[in-house]
Amino acid sequence: MTQTINTSGYSAITDSIRNEARRILGDGTVSAVIGYTSSRREGSTQPTVITKSEDADKLLFTAACLNNLVVYLTKAKKDVPHEGRIGIIVKGCDLKALVGLLGESQLKRENLYLIGIPCNGVLGSLFNPSAELNSETIAPKCRECTDRIPAGCDFMPDVETVGLPELNPFYSSEIARLEALTPVERWEYWKEQFSKCIKCYACRQVCPFCFCEQCLCDRNRPQMVEQTPRPSGNLAWHLVRAMHLAGRCAGCAECERVCPMDIPLNLLNRKMAKELKEMYNSEAGFEVREKGPLTSFDEHDDQSFIR
Amino acid sequence: MQKQITEANLRLLIDSLILKRQRVIGPRQSGSMVLYEPLSSASDLVLTEQPRRSVKEAFFPVCEDLLEYSKQGQQVELADIEPDRFPETVIFGVRPCDAAAVPVLDSVFSWDYKDHFYLKRREKTTIIGLACNTADDSCFCTAVGLSPDNPKGTDLMLTPLTGGGCLAESHSEKGEAFLITWKDRFSELDGTKPLPLAQPAATPFDLKKIKNWLDNHFEDPVWDSIAVRCVGCGACAFVCPACHCFDIIDEGSEKAGKRRKFWDACGFSKFTNHASGHNPRNLQPKRYRNRIMHKFKYYDDKFGQTLCTGCGRCIRICPVGIDIAGVLEEIEQQDDSVK
Amino acid sequence: MNPENKNRFEPKIIAFVCTWCTYAGADLAGTSRMQYPANVRVIKFPCTGRIDPVFIIKAFQQGADGILISGCHPGDCHYIAGNYHARRRFAAFRKLLEFIGVDLNRIQFSWVSAAEGGKWVDVVTDLTERVRNMGPMVEFKELALEEQWSGGLDSPDLQQVYEAI
Repeated sequence: MTQTINTSGYSAITDSIRNEARRILGDGTVSAVIGYTSSRREGSTQPTVITKSEDADKLLFTAACLNNLVVYLTKAKKDVPHEGRIGIIVKGCDLKALVGLLGESQLKRENLYLIGIPCNGVLGSLFNPSAELNSETIAPKCRECTDRIPAGCDFMPDVETVGLPELNPFYSSEIARLEALTPVERWEYWKEQFSKCIKCYACRQVCPFCFCEQCLCDRNRPQMVEQTPRPSGNLAWHLVRAMHLAGRCAGCAECERVCPMDIPLNLLNRKMAKELKEMYNSEAGFEVREKGPLTSFDEHDDQSFIR
Repeated sequence: MQKQITEANLRLLIDSLILKRQRVIGPRQSGSMVLYEPLSSASDLVLTEQPRRSVKEAFFPVCEDLLEYSKQGQQVELADIEPDRFPETVIFGVRPCDAAAVPVLDSVFSWDYKDHFYLKRREKTTIIGLACNTADDSCFCTAVGLSPDNPKGTDLMLTPLTGGGCLAESHSEKGEAFLITWKDRFSELDGTKPLPLAQPAATPFDLKKIKNWLDNHFEDPVWDSIAVRCVGCGACAFVCPACHCFDIIDEGSEKAGKRRKFWDACGFSKFTNHASGHNPRNLQPKRYRNRIMHKFKYYDDKFGQTLCTGCGRCIRICPVGIDIAGVLEEIEQQDDSVK
Repeated sequence: MNPENKNRFEPKIIAFVCTWCTYAGADLAGTSRMQYPANVRVIKFPCTGRIDPVFIIKAFQQGADGILISGCHPGDCHYIAGNYHARRRFAAFRKLLEFIGVDLNRIQFSWVSAAEGGKWVDVVTDLTERVRNMGPMVEFKELALEEQWSGGLDSPDLQQVYEAI
């Protein structure tokens, strides 16, 4: 049965972030605020960077504010102003990515002014941005979200959100379903998924952690990963990306949301997160840490698979 | 030539073509999406949704081989791809916005250099269009001078009729020949009215005014404000029916391998990256500017039309919600007087 | 050679080894005239910490049937901790490969020191026999031949016709 999700607090959140943005831009606390604004189609939104307090009324928050804006803070986005302190609007899931970037010395906390959103879930895609938020249209990541209220922000709207109804988790049950298949079935499943890829690299470009100046997969001397969008090169690309994100990805699921070919990329990332938690009791996104599970070690790590 | 065909006969026609070992391509369900793909029977055809990718890949594949090489000792063997091996193809259910992009691609691929890979595939393909009865809020064909029943680029255009079946009108020799070859499946017109066409909400753009502004505003702060959000993926270019940039790469080992041609996009930072490391389009607004300039100025300068058919795909899939119709509205509102 | 073995499958095994321990161990096996299967092709790295998971994918794509990754015992790394990092990385990578449906029996990890020529022989022999019994690794090779439908030269039907000629 489809359950409606309460988003009545979102207009109060919009008012509150507008006031705060006006204040911090007006008194010079920040030089710019990265947030969401409305777009041409009814209900659609797009990221925006405002630098003047009179533009504060352009900001908003709705269930169609899907983007993880943290990607605009990384060095991959050179065209976004990076002078002075920057204000940014973050949902709980976005904040986990930001925390990861702080740990990787990509950002400095004192250069940021975090405006947290007490989030009650967002839509799964922007194909129909004016859709009502309910248990069918909600983003899969929100179904098992445990971080609706971002912690440690500089400002958070004082708005009561009622919280989500109990929803069946998507990723954990999908991972369990795949794990229960035979290897041959799993190979067939992923082969079909990866074959769809056209290498538009939307997954890489929206990822806060894909900030490399030169992606390994763009190199052809030597060419470690075939660049052509054929099933073989696609598989290699997605495996390499899953490995590079293992222990870092905190699950904003942007890669999966933006994939124009509907490849369930976050399944790989969640699987790796699950395994790393089991093996090394390490989870990304909760604390600023200098070393992740794959950049550190313990002398007593399990080596039962090594002869 | 105008004829009429019932829905049952259309399906029989598709099945007969498949039986005759012709490749028949049409919109079909492929996992969670509808895509233009080879049909294995008429029942695969899904005509209720616009396919996620455009029909261009039937002529301009996502990735194709150009040649094979192998090396033995000092001897290098090269093997060309035989264009004769491209299959004869009929494409059904091509939306007017997709079909209209085909002549646009023709101009590019047969201009100074004749791209045999494209032209041979094109030569062997018959395009059967289908008028649209529904549109969503991303569709804007009417804003760029097309319409939901525009036959541009089709060999044969089908227009759904009230009470089922379609009106079939040929728009090329290929289309006429098709009607004659399969005349048993078609009947004469009986005067049934067509279903009401889709009505995209978009108001027509003043493309002259937009071009005029583009002519004079290569450098303009508007580009920064429009493209600051662009993350530089190739999704818009890859789903676009008219975008046609490609890259060529050799893949394999020193002993044997293939030279392949595959889709490229001007949004990628490496698109203009020089071997020296210098990149003339070093920031995303410069790359996004190229996308708009190419579509509404450069292509117009060279071939006298725009490189956009208003299919709305890029609007639907843009990861950061960039709306090309919104961008054009914004440009249209700019003061186009020369400073 | 035993004539009945003439047509049996000979797997290609790629061994990624560190230069300080396992390579020296394999060298010891050679200088000690120990016999081990000639199926193994050794690629030497400075350290197991340098072995990127992408090398394994690439090896499979290029036709490997089995893969061995071997370096210094914990605590013996020439670079102090390279093998500890590799241990975690490959523990994670195994899980990823397993998740996409690769049979982990085709991949062996081991610690072989410069003094363990005998262990090198055992590890290589066991892996080779195991992979031989499993047969060729076809998944990656078949995948390498697949194209997007639009890039294919012949439709499936026409392909049948060509094959019949």
